[in-house]
Amino acid sequence: MNPKNNDVNVFGATLSRRGFVRTGVKAGGALMVGFGMVGIDGLKNSAKAAPTRNSLDATLPESWIEIHPDNTILIRTGKSDFGQSTTFTAYRQIVAEELNAPFEAITTVVMGDTDRTPDGSGAFDFLGSGTPNIRKAAAYTYQALLDLASQRLGVPKSELSVKEGVVSGGGKSMSYGDLVKGQQLKLTIPVKGDLTSVMGLSVDGNPPMKPVAQYTVIGKPFQNSVTASKVAAKETWATDVRLPEMLHARMVHPKSLGSTLVSVGALDKTKFPNSQVIVKGNLVGVVAPTEWEAIRAAQQVAGATKWKDWKGLPGRARLFDYLKRDADWKTTKVTKSDKSKGDLAPAIAGAAKKINATYQLPYMKHAPIGPTVALADARKDGTVYIYTHNQNPQALRGEIAQMLSTALDNVVVRTFAGPGHYGRSNGGNAGAEDEAVILSKAVGKPVRVQWMRPEDFQWSTQSPAAMSDVEIGLDAKGKMVAYQIDHYMPAMQDDRPIGAVLAGLPTMPAPSEKGVFIGSTVNDISDPWIYDGVATLMERGHGTFQVGQKASPLAVGLRDHSMRTPGQFQQNFPRELAVSEAAALAGADSIQFRLDHAKEERVIGVLKAVRDASGWETRSSRANAAGGAQLRGQGVSVMFRSGTYWACVSQIAVTPSTGVIKVEKVTVAVDPGIVVNPLQLKRQVEGGTVMGVSIALLEELQFDESGITSRDWQTYPILKMADVPEIKVVLLNRPEVGSYGGGSEAANALAAPAIAAALFDATGKIARRLPLKAEYVQALLKV
Amino acid sequence: MAMIVVNGVRREVQAPTDTPLLYVLRNDLELTGPQFGCGLAQCGSCSVLLDGKEIRSCITALSAAVGKEVTTLEGLPGRWAQQKGLPQAEAAKTLHPVQQAWIEEQTPLCGFCQNGMMIKATELLERVATPSVAEIKEAFTTSGPSAHLCRCGSYTAIIQAVQRAAMVMGGSR
Repeated sequence: MNPKNNDVNVFGATLSRRGFVRTGVKAGGALMVGFGMVGIDGLKNSAKAAPTRNSLDATLPESWIEIHPDNTILIRTGKSDFGQSTTFTAYRQIVAEELNAPFEAITTVVMGDTDRTPDGSGAFDFLGSGTPNIRKAAAYTYQALLDLASQRLGVPKSELSVKEGVVSGGGKSMSYGDLVKGQQLKLTIPVKGDLTSVMGLSVDGNPPMKPVAQYTVIGKPFQNSVTASKVAAKETWATDVRLPEMLHARMVHPKSLGSTLVSVGALDKTKFPNSQVIVKGNLVGVVAPTEWEAIRAAQQVAGATKWKDWKGLPGRARLFDYLKRDADWKTTKVTKSDKSKGDLAPAIAGAAKKINATYQLPYMKHAPIGPTVALADARKDGTVYIYTHNQNPQALRGEIAQMLSTALDNVVVRTFAGPGHYGRSNGGNAGAEDEAVILSKAVGKPVRVQWMRPEDFQWSTQSPAAMSDVEIGLDAKGKMVAYQIDHYMPAMQDDRPIGAVLAGLPTMPAPSEKGVFIGSTVNDISDPWIYDGVATLMERGHGTFQVGQKASPLAVGLRDHSMRTPGQFQQNFPRELAVSEAAALAGADSIQFRLDHAKEERVIGVLKAVRDASGWETRSSRANAAGGAQLRGQGVSVMFRSGTYWACVSQIAVTPSTGVIKVEKVTVAVDPGIVVNPLQLKRQVEGGTVMGVSIALLEELQFDESGITSRDWQTYPILKMADVPEIKVVLLNRPEVGSYGGGSEAANALAAPAIAAALFDATGKIARRLPLKAEYVQALLKV
Repeated sequence: MAMIVVNGVRREVQAPTDTPLLYVLRNDLELTGPQFGCGLAQCGSCSVLLDGKEIRSCITALSAAVGKEVTTLEGLPGRWAQQKGLPQAEAAKTLHPVQQAWIEEQTPLCGFCQNGMMIKATELLERVATPSVAEIKEAFTTSGPSAHLCRCGSYTAIIQAVQRAAMVMGGSR
C-alpha cells in the first residue's frame, strides 16, 4: 500500500494509511510512540498541554480513543457525567465491547473539557438511542485496527479475530499495544452538527457494530471508577479549584425579577478594607481576597443597595388563573402528535361514559444540593478560562464567547465534579459562570463566584408549570374509544446566561415563537402515546412565553429550564392519572385496563412485570371514601422514553384526618432493551424514584408578584430519608431488542401519577394537581 | 488567630475567629471533603465531627472549635486506624469501613452530599454498633440540626451502605 495515497472508504469514514510516525504531538520532541496520541491530559499538566484552545478534531480517531503501547486505552467524550455514571461505566463497556478489549484496559476517561474532547453536547441521552458517538468512534477505530493488523501480520482482514485486545490470524497474534507501537492511522471519522449547539456534534455513517449475541462486557455490573475518589475526598470538585491571586465573589442580585438598579450601596471600607464592588448595568458583585469577607461585604452592600420595586408576576395563588385567562397561547403554533387520528367530536359525543378534567403541575426547582459555583480567569491576552461543573461545556463556551463578542477560540471551559442539577445547565449555563467571567474581566484577576442558597432558588431557572385538559370517552363495555389531551406549558428552555442579561451584554434571544428548536415557545408532544387500541386520539401542545419575562424591565421573569424527563413529565402525569380514572369509571383493574388498550409487546411486558413484582391486587378501583383511620391504595403509571419502557406501581397509606400520605412501596419495571450495567441502572432507578416521590408529595416553587419566595430547604422541602418507601427495581434485559435505551431520566417521572392514582384508589377522591401536600389532601378528603 | 486540632494534627489558623469552620477547612487548611450546600445547617453537606459529634461546619464559628478535635472526611481513615490500632503501613492503605462500604454499595450518584452522609454514618456507628433501619432513618432525618438531604435520591443505597459498614465494624471488634 502506498502510505500517501490510499484512501479507502470504510462504511462512510475515510480510512487512509499515513505511514510510520515516531512521535505524537507532544512538544519538545519527547518520544511518545503510539497510536493517535493528542495532547496530555490531567489538570496538573495543563500548562504544558493544549497547543490550541479549540476542541479536539472530531474527525480524528485519536481525539476519541487512544490506544497506548502498554495496552491501556483512553477515551474522550464531550459529555459531562453528572452522577449518571455513564461515562465511567457504560461508555467504557461500550468501547471495550466494540474494540474487543478488556473493560479494565480503559484506564482513563476524559470528559467535558472543551479543549480536550471532540464532540460537545449535554448531559442527557448519554446512550444516544443505542448508538452514542463514542460507540461509532470505537466501531470505526476497530475497523482501522483490523486494517493495520492485516498489514502487519500479512493476513487478510477477514481471517483476523480479536479477543481481549489481542489480534490473531494465520497462526500469529499481536496485542493492540504492540500493533499500534510506532504506528499512526489516519482515519477520518465523519461528523456533522454544530459543536456549541445544545446537541453538539454527532458521528455520522454506519460502521459495522459488534453483534449483540457476542457481547461479553455489556450486561455485566461494573463499579463507577470515580466513586472511590469522591468517597476518599480525593476528587477535585468544581468547588475546590483555586488559582493564584484568585478573589472570592458574592453577588448582589436585584430585589425582584424585574427590579432595575437605583443606586449601589457604599462599601464600608472600615469593616471590609480589602473588598471591592463591581457594577455593570444591573449586575452587582463584591470581590474580596477571603471568602468570609466577600460574604459579609456583599451582605453589607446588599443592605444599602436600592432597586426599583416591581410586581409583574401573577404570584403562586393566581398562577393557573393567569395561565388560563391571561397567557398568550395564540401566537405560538399549536402542535399535534403524529399518532393523533380519527374524528374526536363524534366519538366523544357518542361515548357511554366520559371524563372531562383539568390537571395542574407546579413550577419545580432542579434544586442541586450545592448552589452553582464557577471560577473564571479572564486573562490579559483576551482569553478566558472557566472552571466549573457544567452539563454542556461547549454550549457554555459559545455563550461566553457571544457575551464577550470574542472568538470561540478565546474561551476554554474545564469541568469538574459537582452537585447534580438535572438539566439546568444542559443548554450551557447553571448561573454563576458568566458572572464570574464579567467580574474577572473587571478586576483583572481570577474570580470565583459562589451563589448562596437563597440565590440558587431565586435566580436560577425552574421547571415550568403546566396544565392539561383531558377528555376521554368510554363505550358501553368500558373501552376507551376517544382520548383528547391539550397540554399547556410556558417555554421550557431559557439558556440566556443571567449575568449577561443583568449586565446588558449580548446573549441569545429569549424563547419566542420565532425561535428554533429548544429556543422556541412551541410545546411539542413529548410523551409518546402507548395505548394503540384507542380508535380516536388527539394530542395537542400549546406554548406560550415565560411568565413575567415580557413584563420584566430586566427581561427576566420566571425563567424556565428543562429538568430531568423535561416536558414529558408534565404530559405523562395528566395522561396516566386520567387513564387510571378511566379504568375506575369502566369498573376495571387499572393494569388490566392498560393491557387491554396497549398493543406494543414491550408495553405489555413492563406492565405484566410490574404487576407480578409489586404485589398488585387485581381488582377494580376500591374508590372507598368510607373512612377509617388509614386507607390504603395502589396506583400504576407507564411511560416510554429514549428507547426504554417503564412501568411503576405505588402502594400508599393515607390518613384522612391529617391528609398525610405515606408512600409504602414503589416498584419499577424497566425494559431498556439491552441492560448495559445492571448495578448502575438499579441505583439510577432507585434515585429517580426517590426524586419522583419527592415531586409527588412536596415540591412546588413558591413565588409572589415580585419574585421567588422559596429560598432554602424549608421553603422548598425535598424528601428526607425517613419518608423513603421500599423501592423494588425490576430490570428486564432484552438483548433481542438489539439496542440500549436510557435509564436515568423517566425514573423520576413515574411515581407521581402512580401515587395520585393510589390516592384515588384509597379514597375515591382525585387529586389533579401536585404536590400532594397534607393540607391539600386533607381538604380534598373533607369535600 | 486560633489553634485547632484537625484530623489529629494541631493547626494554626490566621482567619478571624468568627469565620465559619467550613471556610477555614476548605480555604485555609485545604480540607475539601466538607462541601458548601446551604450555609444554613439545613442539608448536612458540610458536616464534620467535633469531638466525635456531627456538627454543621457552615454555621459553626472557628472559635467554637478551639480546644476540640475536628475530624473531616479526610480524617476518617486515620480515625479508624487509631481506633483499631492499625500499624502505619496498613493504616496508610485502609479506608474507614464507612468509606469502603460506600464504594462497595456504589452509594453516591453525584456524590456532593455524601461527605455529610459518611460523617453521620460514622457518628452513628460509633454510638450504635448494629443500628436497625429505623435507627438509621432516625439518625439521618431527625437526630441533627436538620435532615441530611440527598437530591439524587441515594437514601436506599445509604441505608444499605450503613448496614454493610456496621457488619465490618462490628465483625472486627
